[in-house]
Amino acid sequence: MLNIDRRWIFLAIGVVSIVPFLIGIGMPVSTTVEVENIFDYVNELGKDDAIFISFDYAPGTQAENTPMAIAVMRHALHNDVSVFLTANQPLGHGMAIGALHYVTDPAIPDFYESVSFEDWSALRDAGIVDKDELVSAWESEGNVLPEGCSGWIFEGRDYALLGYAPVFNLVILGMTNSIEAQYPQDAHGNSTGEMPMLRDHKSLREVDLALSCSGSGACVWWITYAREKIGMPVAFGVTAVMATDYYPYIQSGQIIGQMGGLRGAAEYEVLLYENGVTVTTGKAFTGMDVQSAAHLLIIFLIIMGNIAFFAGGFHKKTALKGRG
Amino acid sequence: MIVLVGGILMIVQYFIPHQYSQNIFNYYTEWAPIVGAFALILGVGSLTRVHSHKIRRKAKNWQFSWAVLIPLYGMPFFALIWPQSLWGGMEEPGIFDFVFMHIQVPIQATMFSLLAFYIASAAFRAFRAKSALATVLLLAAVIVMLGQVPIGEMLGRWLPETGLWILRYPNLAAKRAIMLGVGFGILATNLKIIFGVERNWLGGAGK
Amino acid sequence: MYETIGIWVGAFFTLAIYSFLYKENPLYRLAEHLVVGVSLGYTISITYDITLKPRLIEPLLAGSHWILIIPAILGLLYITRFIPSIAWLSRYPIAFLMGTSMGVSFPLTMKAWVLRQLEGAMAPLYVSGMNWSEVAGNIVLILGTLAALIYFFFSKPHKGLFFGTGSKIGIWVIMLGFGATFGFTVMGRISLLIGRIQYLLGDWLHIIK
Repeated sequence: MLNIDRRWIFLAIGVVSIVPFLIGIGMPVSTTVEVENIFDYVNELGKDDAIFISFDYAPGTQAENTPMAIAVMRHALHNDVSVFLTANQPLGHGMAIGALHYVTDPAIPDFYESVSFEDWSALRDAGIVDKDELVSAWESEGNVLPEGCSGWIFEGRDYALLGYAPVFNLVILGMTNSIEAQYPQDAHGNSTGEMPMLRDHKSLREVDLALSCSGSGACVWWITYAREKIGMPVAFGVTAVMATDYYPYIQSGQIIGQMGGLRGAAEYEVLLYENGVTVTTGKAFTGMDVQSAAHLLIIFLIIMGNIAFFAGGFHKKTALKGRG
Repeated sequence: MIVLVGGILMIVQYFIPHQYSQNIFNYYTEWAPIVGAFALILGVGSLTRVHSHKIRRKAKNWQFSWAVLIPLYGMPFFALIWPQSLWGGMEEPGIFDFVFMHIQVPIQATMFSLLAFYIASAAFRAFRAKSALATVLLLAAVIVMLGQVPIGEMLGRWLPETGLWILRYPNLAAKRAIMLGVGFGILATNLKIIFGVERNWLGGAGK
Repeated sequence: MYETIGIWVGAFFTLAIYSFLYKENPLYRLAEHLVVGVSLGYTISITYDITLKPRLIEPLLAGSHWILIIPAILGLLYITRFIPSIAWLSRYPIAFLMGTSMGVSFPLTMKAWVLRQLEGAMAPLYVSGMNWSEVAGNIVLILGTLAALIYFFFSKPHKGLFFGTGSKIGIWVIMLGFGATFGFTVMGRISLLIGRIQYLLGDWLHIIK
């Protein structure tokens, strides 16, 4: 049995990963305090506040990290919180752009309609930067919110795609003094000095939260260079592989909470849905059925492998070899 | 000398709130990303050298080296002569965005997803409860795995609660101990580099 | 149309990579090489557009911030790495970044990795209102951290009451921690596969939402 061709095992995991999607059970996902803390914190923020969402991951881990970033981004935009999007690596920059596309895609529920920095320049020049006044003024110009849209988001007021900068740990350090000095322009070439959200939040000292969605140890930079230097609140959205390593940061209070893996993203989606922020859960929640089935298969394989190993007497053969 | 002066200067400036100290800090944080950006030259140069040698020598699978070199120089070409394709094209999709979203992302994401198959194979072939410690490891893993998925909650409330207890207490203790050790190691390495005791980072660039 | 073509191209490369599970083949090799070239090509373009152009080239061309010549020259010294006779010059930008980043991170790393963690390790065993699992957990937390530290201390033999018993308890705590990590690792790997299946079944074949 131990000599089974591994391609049969590959087939088994493939089948187990596909079938639950076709059946669509939708088992409930309960939430944990680590994720609830992030949700409650963002829920308290409003239109005078701002957060950073740092896309510190590459496409390899996007299945876990992107749903987290999108969930928090949707939550922040729902509360009219300004969102700065950054990335610690060039591929993360692409992930940030992809996430922005996703949140503004009319084909996906709970989408937002984006207004580019250039398009609302007249209103900006007229001094209209408050969100409610901006929406009224924008709609009075004849702009109509598309059907099913969750709201308008204005580049430079609701979000800014700052993007990637090299030696990102030092960029974080530099942003503790001035965000504009580190990002004189955003990724679209707009001058950050002219953005209302930069005028209201000049440095990280005036930003309310940094969420680092990371597939590597880069998230720790936010603790080292932002949290410890200026006391900025930090939250993590990390892959499951790394999630267990950062529980000490939660207990010591260095991070307010953590979303670990697809489960963490699913919990946040459930919280958004239950609190009426979104009309539906997202990809992470849908994937939890497959996660259940796959875990059962892995446990079954571990048990069967051990039974075959001990029943076949291989543990004795290994011991004998060792003595020889 | 540069490392010694730079290192001590940046440690000291942390404790000095004077404007001159802050100016040094500001210059450094503005210059470092610029210097760091040029480090790409090394990556591009190495990759070009390796693959152009492969093509010249007609080494095994040399044809695939073109698949490295063409996008390596082609993408910056599209970025420079067709810059609007660089911005992801929120209104107008471009070639640059296409290559990233529909070639880079699927390939890299799929390569990482292969690990799921290998971990399933390893679960059958390699994960053995050969000793009491290994058994404890596997048991903890099984409890945590079941506790993290919805089916675990359906099997019994104790599963996710026990899993979370393992994460928040013994796991935390172990990881904290490792973190403290690593933290001291980082500090020691930092000091060794600053004072020139550790020079491996210099590499083999000349004498 | 652009999106449809893109998704079909993405699906093609996804299946090309998955074909490796059966046997290595030229399609897999093509995708493997392509991803290396594309990622570095993308990196160069983004780095130039986001960093070098607004921070260096445009200020210099505008005739202001001439001091930026200094980091520019330091950065260009990287090129000397490919000229053996003057390759030693490439050490200057490396030294600049290494020394200064080591220095700037020293006090902050001390705070984040050591002091705060030591502070967190000194948790109260019992506070009014705690249930038994929390109290037991706090005992495990404090004693477990100490025991695990003793296990990793190799300057003394692991014998006697303190080092011997301590390291034995420590290894058990570490095994529990690694077991949790292993469980999460399995979860993480499966999650990456879930993402790809959602792409193939949802975005490509439209079988699921």
